[in-house]
Amino acid sequence: MRGIVKRFPGVLANDGVDFEAAEGEIHALLGENGAGKSTLANILIGLYRPDEGEISLYGRPTHFHSPRDALEARISMVHQHFRLVTPFSVAENVILGDHRGEGRRFIVNPRAIERRVAGLGERYGIAVDPRARVWQLSVGEQQRVEILKALYRDARILILDEPTAVLTPQEAEALFHTLRTMAAEGRTIVFISHKLKEVKAVADRVTVLRGGRSIASLPSAEATQRSLANLMVGREVEMQGRRERKPPEARSERLEIDALWVPSDRGGPAVKGISLCAGAGEIVAVAGVAGNGQRELAEAIAGMRTPAAGAVHVGGKALRAGDPRDAIEAGIAYVPEDRLGTGLAPSLSVASNVVLKSYRSAAVSRGPLLRLGSIRARAAELIQRYHVSGAVPSTPARGLSGGNLQKVVLGRELSGQPRVLIAASPTRGLDVGAIETVHAYLREAAGSGAAILLISEDLDEILALADRVAVIYEGALVGEVDGATADVEEVGLLMAGGTR
Amino acid sequence: MNNSIVVVVLASAVLYGTPLLYAALGELLAERSGVLNLGVEGMMLVGAVLGFWAVQRIGASTPLVLAGAIGVAALAGAAMALIHAFLVITLRANQIVSGLALTLFAGGAGLSSYLGNDLSLGDAPARHVFRDVNAFGLQKLPVAGPIVFGQSLLVYASWLSVIAVALYLSRTRPGLNVRAVGESPAAADAMGINVTAYRYAHTMVGGAFAGVGGATFSLSITPQWVDNLTSGAGWIAIALVIFAFWRPALCLVGAYFFGAFAALPFTLQARGVTVAPELFQSLPYVMTIVVLVLVSSRGARLRLGAPAALGTPYVREER
Amino acid sequence: MIRVERRLRRPRWLTVAVPVGSLALAFVTSAVVLVATGHAPLHTYRRLIDAGFLANGALSSSLTSATPLCFTGLGAAAAFRMQLFNIGGEGQLYFGAIGAAAAALLFAGQSTPVEIVVMCLAGAAAGAAWAAIPGLLRAFLHTNEIITSLMLNYVAALILNYLIFDSLSYWRDTSTAEAKVFPQGKTLPDAATWPTSTLHLGTAIVVPLGILLAAVLAAGLWTLYSRTRFGLEVQVIGDSPRAARYAGMRTRRKIVAVMCLSGAIAGLGGASQDGDFRHLLDPRGLSQAAYGYGGIVVAALARYNPFAVVLVAFLLGGLQNAGYALQGADFPSGLVGVMQGMILFCALGGELLVRYRIRFGRTARPVVTTA
Repeated sequence: MRGIVKRFPGVLANDGVDFEAAEGEIHALLGENGAGKSTLANILIGLYRPDEGEISLYGRPTHFHSPRDALEARISMVHQHFRLVTPFSVAENVILGDHRGEGRRFIVNPRAIERRVAGLGERYGIAVDPRARVWQLSVGEQQRVEILKALYRDARILILDEPTAVLTPQEAEALFHTLRTMAAEGRTIVFISHKLKEVKAVADRVTVLRGGRSIASLPSAEATQRSLANLMVGREVEMQGRRERKPPEARSERLEIDALWVPSDRGGPAVKGISLCAGAGEIVAVAGVAGNGQRELAEAIAGMRTPAAGAVHVGGKALRAGDPRDAIEAGIAYVPEDRLGTGLAPSLSVASNVVLKSYRSAAVSRGPLLRLGSIRARAAELIQRYHVSGAVPSTPARGLSGGNLQKVVLGRELSGQPRVLIAASPTRGLDVGAIETVHAYLREAAGSGAAILLISEDLDEILALADRVAVIYEGALVGEVDGATADVEEVGLLMAGGTR
Repeated sequence: MNNSIVVVVLASAVLYGTPLLYAALGELLAERSGVLNLGVEGMMLVGAVLGFWAVQRIGASTPLVLAGAIGVAALAGAAMALIHAFLVITLRANQIVSGLALTLFAGGAGLSSYLGNDLSLGDAPARHVFRDVNAFGLQKLPVAGPIVFGQSLLVYASWLSVIAVALYLSRTRPGLNVRAVGESPAAADAMGINVTAYRYAHTMVGGAFAGVGGATFSLSITPQWVDNLTSGAGWIAIALVIFAFWRPALCLVGAYFFGAFAALPFTLQARGVTVAPELFQSLPYVMTIVVLVLVSSRGARLRLGAPAALGTPYVREER
Repeated sequence: MIRVERRLRRPRWLTVAVPVGSLALAFVTSAVVLVATGHAPLHTYRRLIDAGFLANGALSSSLTSATPLCFTGLGAAAAFRMQLFNIGGEGQLYFGAIGAAAAALLFAGQSTPVEIVVMCLAGAAAGAAWAAIPGLLRAFLHTNEIITSLMLNYVAALILNYLIFDSLSYWRDTSTAEAKVFPQGKTLPDAATWPTSTLHLGTAIVVPLGILLAAVLAAGLWTLYSRTRFGLEVQVIGDSPRAARYAGMRTRRKIVAVMCLSGAIAGLGGASQDGDFRHLLDPRGLSQAAYGYGGIVVAALARYNPFAVVLVAFLLGGLQNAGYALQGADFPSGLVGVMQGMILFCALGGELLVRYRIRFGRTARPVVTTA
């Protein structure tokens, strides 16, 4: 791929990217969130068309007009969000859209396909019951289905977009094994990631993207984690100093979670009897790989999800279960992982979003009527104070970039002088500058006495901010360590479900 | 025995259920591809009026004329569906409003009425109609005779259609693809299935079925043309698709069930029993609401509910 | 190459230019239909406009057609604003008419102001009650309100027919032998006839009380949705139900409230039908023009803006009235429906231009890179 340029409204996602991968190679595409990795991959599989640049396959220039062209050329991709039809069986998903071999026939023969899928699964160590419905499978198994789809089509090039984000370290190791088997057969594996460690572990070569440009391409054996980090970020990475901590004193517990059980969307329990406390001015991190019940825990505390059992207390008073308004009135601020859609109403103005929670208060409304002037003034003040760039009070929220969205959410949540702040993956998808800003605000909020529950899977972030670290695995807390003395290896092992 | 009330009601349930069945099969195909088309009534009426026009104006032997009329009705329905498809698939318009607009445009006070008046079709009865056939000479058979063997060709064709649609969806590759398009267009697109083409094709085939359903009225049930001939059958067909959980075989059962409600008041009246016809006429609607309520829980939706992407446009390059 | 991109900002001029352009395009495409069927489009249009707006008494008749469309249009707009697709305006209007007629009969002997108030209250309450069914089902059982409200239209129509044609109900006139053979509703007391005002603009234009009421309602609705806490909640729930829940809004209550509001407005339309025009419960008259569905068209064309609803209702009412006036051998009766449908198609297509930017070719425009 040479000189690839791709623009989206208001964003230049790829700005002259060069990328080259050889046969039988595991090639990592490394970059921060927003560096243009996924865009590049989507161009390679024909989902997006590049505005400029060209693609050559095995020496021949190629133009893809649709995903079908890329599939014909035997290129497959495992998307971050799986492209599976959940009510279908595994076998049906695998043959979907295929029109070679079994797939050429007009009449579908389920038995033959199921046999082939089962055979492929065994050969590559990724067996899944071909008759199972996809919605019944775990996330790891669903990923296997995606890989089976590629293998079924005999893909020469397989692209995986952040494949380990949803996996435990053990599952990730099994995945790496499968990928190595595939590469050994002469297939090209493009492995998209922002995790240095796994890039070092699995890739033969690494191409680094930054700000939509390709920065470097080198054999991974010649790179160190630090040199890759520098390339990825574009400057010397300061290993963030740990936060200064107040000496432990006799403190009053601000937030108490008592034997909380929370159901998941599918019905089973997602949070299994978690008890946890946080004192005023304390930052308690809940560390864990995504999908271990963190979202359900945060939503239960914020009142957005009704727990099956247990209680949440703020300042000794129990919250009414499943009532977000009660949580808000008790002083719980919540920075949700899904900023646009949950934290903010996308089509509404920044001004409306700034008063999303406080519109009931006397400062903003008089009886049933809104004070529009004072709402505008509040929004303008927040925009200025939190340096929200490119916005006026009337800008619709969806017109803002990720970092600015998060500033609006944080600004609103902190403006009410919260007693408790739940921050769920507050820096996911943000660039380095914005991450530092968010961290500074979180420290400031702790300094002014809020109890903070930081839900994150980013160990660097956790160790930089947390006073205490509780590790969540499969819906339960599996360990708690002191933030000042916590050891990365130890926390990582706990997050993976290992025992001390 | 064949004059017993049960047999008479069942035989006319098949008669009145047939247009519902055609229209519901068509709507089912469109909805399975993710396109909700509330314009069924309009498509049926245009099919009915143009099918009738063909019968009055084509000069040929009866079988040829009737085959031609069905073809014209199907084309007319498909053409109406094309408008909806263009608006909601290409221009991403709101599917509900567009479907209602189609009914307004084509329906009882729109194009069908305009064509009926402009072509002066209202004056005469149909010159050719689908007559009841005596299949295998079994029309006189007790009970099953009038119900199964004494119907018109349109009825037998509708049974074939049910089988064809059911096998198409469950056993064939395009059927698998269209279900994927309706459930998860993003997944289908990623696997190289042309979402737009599938949606256009199924919406238009759906319109063709609705057109034939309309022609069933003007060529068989009440072989003439009056404004608003279908009198709400299109809306019942939409209800029927939900009632049948988006399954063709259940559409057949449901169509005859609803057809019986349409037929019952007349049959009872003919026998001197007076029951308010509104009671039976409202049952299809009320029952559809009840079924909708029963299937609206999350668990039920996963197993037998609507195609997940129903009513939502698919846009690939948006972020 | 044509590319479609979501607009980050919507220019203000577009919100005017697009509807006007859609209207023009609809006339052009309808002309194609006319030419294809052997009619002269310009001549037909001139007759339409003449009969709808210019002829003697045309404006009065057009206001008569516009009044119910105003109510059902406002009702639809009220619900659609929250992405609540209440397409049951038709049935809610019937129920409003049933309720208002009952009130007028019950309060026979009272003065006109009392009659007007009780008819409005009863009409609004009956419309709201009918709309509450899909509202409650949606709020508490997650049942799709589109299909339920649609189905209830037919149930309401059948109830209406039953009351007059197939029963000896309170609403049915049973006073004479003739009335028993040709069923119709009881005539409402004289005091239940709503007063009209007359405007003298060259000719005398009769303005029904209903349309004034609708205009006041439009202003009220606009204030409610843009200036109040309730309006903010409706906007947030319509845009993102998750954000609404996150903000502690009582979504279920709002769903029921907005459905009832929407039904009450349509119900008022039914009351206005009784008081302004029909003076009895008249199933045929209420259902012949499909005011409920017309209201959805009006709301969609007005892009859910209450003031625009009144304007659009007037234009479409004029068109409808012209259709009635001209109906005859040389003027096919379905033409007005064809044109209304065409206008809506064009407006729906035009919506794309408001929401998305269409770019031709590969010409690159300067791109702002945002972090």
